[in-house]
Amino acid sequence: MNDLTQIQSLVTFAWWIALDVCVLLYVVLDGADLGAGIFSLFVRSATERGAIMSAMAGTWDANETWLIVAGGVLFGTFPFVYGATFSYLMLPLAFALWGMITRAIALEFRHLAEGRWLRFTDFAFGFGSLATTFFGGTAVGAVLQGYPLTHQAGVVPTYVGGALRFISPFSVWTGVAAVVAVLLAGLLFVRARFEKAEPIRQQAATWTNAVFYLALTAVAITFAASASLFPWAAARWFGPALPFWALVPVAVLAVVIRMRQAMRRERDLAAILWFNLAVAIMAGAMLATMYPWLVPGTWTIYSGASPAVSLFTFTLAMGGFIPIILMYNAYQIWVFRARISALAAYH
Amino acid sequence: MQDSALAVFFSRLDFAWITSMHILYPPLTIGLAALLFFSEWRWLRSKDDGWYRLTRFFEKLFIVNFAAGVATGITMEMAFGILYGPFSQAAGPFFGQVLGYETITAFMYEAGFIGLMVFGWGKISRKMHLFATFNVALSSSLSAMWIMDANSWMQTPTGVVYQNGIFQVTNWATALLNPDVLLGFPHMLLAALELALCFVAAVSAWYLLNRRHIGLFRRALIYSVVALAVVAPLQVYVGDGLGRVVADDQPAALAAMEGHYHTYNPDGSVDTSWQVVGWPNKAGDDFAWSISIPHALSLIETHTWAGKVTGLDDIPVQNRPPVVIPFYAFRVMVAAGGALVPLAFWGLWLVLRGRLSLERATAQRWFLRAMVAGGTLPYISVWCGWWVREVSRQPWVVYGLMRTQDGVSHMSVAAALFWLFGYAAFELMVWGSVWYFLAKIVRQGPDLNSPVTADGNQMLGHLEPALHDPAALPSYIRPV
Ligand code: HDD
Ligand code: HEM
Ligand code: HEM
Repeated sequence: MNDLTQIQSLVTFAWWIALDVCVLLYVVLDGADLGAGIFSLFVRSATERGAIMSAMAGTWDANETWLIVAGGVLFGTFPFVYGATFSYLMLPLAFALWGMITRAIALEFRHLAEGRWLRFTDFAFGFGSLATTFFGGTAVGAVLQGYPLTHQAGVVPTYVGGALRFISPFSVWTGVAAVVAVLLAGLLFVRARFEKAEPIRQQAATWTNAVFYLALTAVAITFAASASLFPWAAARWFGPALPFWALVPVAVLAVVIRMRQAMRRERDLAAILWFNLAVAIMAGAMLATMYPWLVPGTWTIYSGASPAVSLFTFTLAMGGFIPIILMYNAYQIWVFRARISALAAYH
Repeated sequence: MQDSALAVFFSRLDFAWITSMHILYPPLTIGLAALLFFSEWRWLRSKDDGWYRLTRFFEKLFIVNFAAGVATGITMEMAFGILYGPFSQAAGPFFGQVLGYETITAFMYEAGFIGLMVFGWGKISRKMHLFATFNVALSSSLSAMWIMDANSWMQTPTGVVYQNGIFQVTNWATALLNPDVLLGFPHMLLAALELALCFVAAVSAWYLLNRRHIGLFRRALIYSVVALAVVAPLQVYVGDGLGRVVADDQPAALAAMEGHYHTYNPDGSVDTSWQVVGWPNKAGDDFAWSISIPHALSLIETHTWAGKVTGLDDIPVQNRPPVVIPFYAFRVMVAAGGALVPLAFWGLWLVLRGRLSLERATAQRWFLRAMVAGGTLPYISVWCGWWVREVSRQPWVVYGLMRTQDGVSHMSVAAALFWLFGYAAFELMVWGSVWYFLAKIVRQGPDLNSPVTADGNQMLGHLEPALHDPAALPSYIRPV
């Protein structure tokens, strides 16, 4: 139905990489904020909970915006996928969105709240982070499973399978796994953002050990489940390129060991970076497994691409805007790099 | 297919609800950001700390509003895919690209600077901070430009062909510069500025009425009222121009807005009368009663005495938009916009006569009360303007090319209702807390005591600080 020229196919491929990078940046940057939010549900002192929010106050909005950009790229370049997939994912996305709205409002309004409202905003912040993570993870799992499309002449295929189809043991499991992984990111973030002697940092440090092993287990289970559930994954992993794919777990393991070392030596920033590298390797491997599917069994990146993709608009966005965005994002994180103490909850 | 007609209705209601709740916040963000830039610039130029206090105070209000704008805006971006999947797919090649540009060039841009603007006080230099404020103002206007472009294209879809269920872009330039956006965007931008000016004037007037911080807010009031005296008439002028664009390109929409049922009178002469108020009859093919002014419609729309204006009876029945909402919403918008002009002139007159001086400002009780009330008028106008625009485009989602019922997602009634109630609850919660916190900030008043932030020489700390070196520990100020 969709005939792309060769140039367009290349541009589509490049947009797909750009989309992946945006999603990955979102996961890595906002994952830490979300995880710290989930952790805050278990922090007893209101002051410390406030300090967690202060720690991300200057950057969370920019981090979250990577999701908006990913959404924009998806809509702009893969409108067919956007339209159909979002109908399929209506429920998990609605819940994740409510989580995000709640979190945003709690973050921005907390310093104005008092008494009962303060406790309520704290709870809303933590719970919003939890809901966003869980339903976001569920949505990813549901996408991996694919969905059926309509076939009607003259009309773009779309989704009509009902609102509940996304629910499956696998998608629920990916939701849980996302919570565990994000919690680990959040703990590392708390460790890096608070002054070393702060009690909350100590609490985070003890938690990290347990959550670290939980996360490793979660990754292993997800991997095993994908291999047994998805023929496209198994075919690729255990096909002729098996030696190459076997390198992936080895690399991940090596990186994770470095991360553990950094954690032990209290080199918090290094630990975060190693963690992010591990996430990037796994995500990259998963995307390479899925290629050329954007939604396995449903849309390839080529069948889902807009017939209007052009080299011109791509160059404009990638050459002009994305590098600038990256620059001021980095500047912003740099300005807000200092470790803080629990006192930061007060003004 | 009773069930699906109901589902379509609810999906549309869902979308109408979330857009109406979103549009409450961005205009203030756009307009107030520009005003904040102005007052911060005045502060740096004049070294008068009054400007600094005003900037910080209105910035607090700005943040609350901004957070709500983001929260409701994210919903919007997802909502196109969820509620209008087929429309998003079909229009994606143009519409999605434009929204994609918005996210990249405006949202990302804005997000990068808003953190610096809000939390960067004292951390970055004053000039850098002013630069951040400037970028927030610019990027939020850019965002309005893109989204208006996308929406205007839905009103006047040029530069595309609709083939195989997809809008193929044949000419980017004519699609981007479609007839409606050329005045639609200025009208929206002016609306944002007008709304922000009224907001500032209303808050300031409230303080003067309560005799608090008179010196500070008298200044804000005077500046905003004088600016309003320019912006309010300009908006009427641009609005009139936009009306003519609609008359040219969307005759059905104009006929609905004006309740213009018949092109010709029964005697064959051109129907030139303009309906002031009226109510449709049962059959819906004419007003049951109305008050009308002969020749006024031809004068407004064609600028001639008896020019012909297409009536609804020239539009095929299945392409006719509903009348009541566009008709009344249009009248309310124009009335509110019209009322702001004399209000602004009243203020200007008081300023020129020296009645808003330090001693006399609080004595102008009636003007101050009117100004507080006037703060609601732009909000009403913005809502009504959008209802006019969106409802009078019906039954099309892309005017003349794609019908709304072909654009909505195939949801069940239950799913659509779930959305409706869920978002009704959430966005009312957001709206309630915005009110609560805005009111709280206003009650507390500006912070006149904390020291004016220094020029960005605070210690920011090191990434891996040496614990024994006290100078390496950051000094952290929670921005208020
Ligand atoms: C402060 C807000 C405000 C004020 C005072 C006015 N408007 Fe407006 N109007 C808007 C805010 C707005 C808006 C909400 O921003 C709209 C919706 C879409 C758009 O482009 O602007 C709009 C749309 C809009 C349309 C387009 C409807 C369509 O596309 O179907 C017309 C013809 C007018 N306006 C005309 C006027 C006139 C003649 C005014 C004179 C008093 C006026 N507006 C005042
Ligand atoms: C500029 C960005 C906007 C875009 C792209 C946009 C797009 C749309 C779309 C796709 C629909 C669904 C089709 C339909 O049912 O008509 C719609 C409907 C609607 N929108 Fe907008 N909209 C925008 C802004 C707004 C704003 C700011 C408001 C409210 C103040 C608004 C109010 C409505 C209403 C009331 C409907 C329902 C009309 C009906 O179904 O009869 N829109 N709009
Ligand atoms: C004319 C109507 C609209 C205008 C002028 C407008 C403008 C803006 C502006 C200036 C912002 C940023 C400031 C703030 O958050 O308060 C914003 C937020 C947002 N808007 Fe709208 N918008 C409109 C309608 C829409 C529509 C129809 C969509 C759907 C695609 C949308 C999507 C968003 C999103 C996703 C955000 C949050 C982005 C962020 O994180 O900053 N807006 N809008």
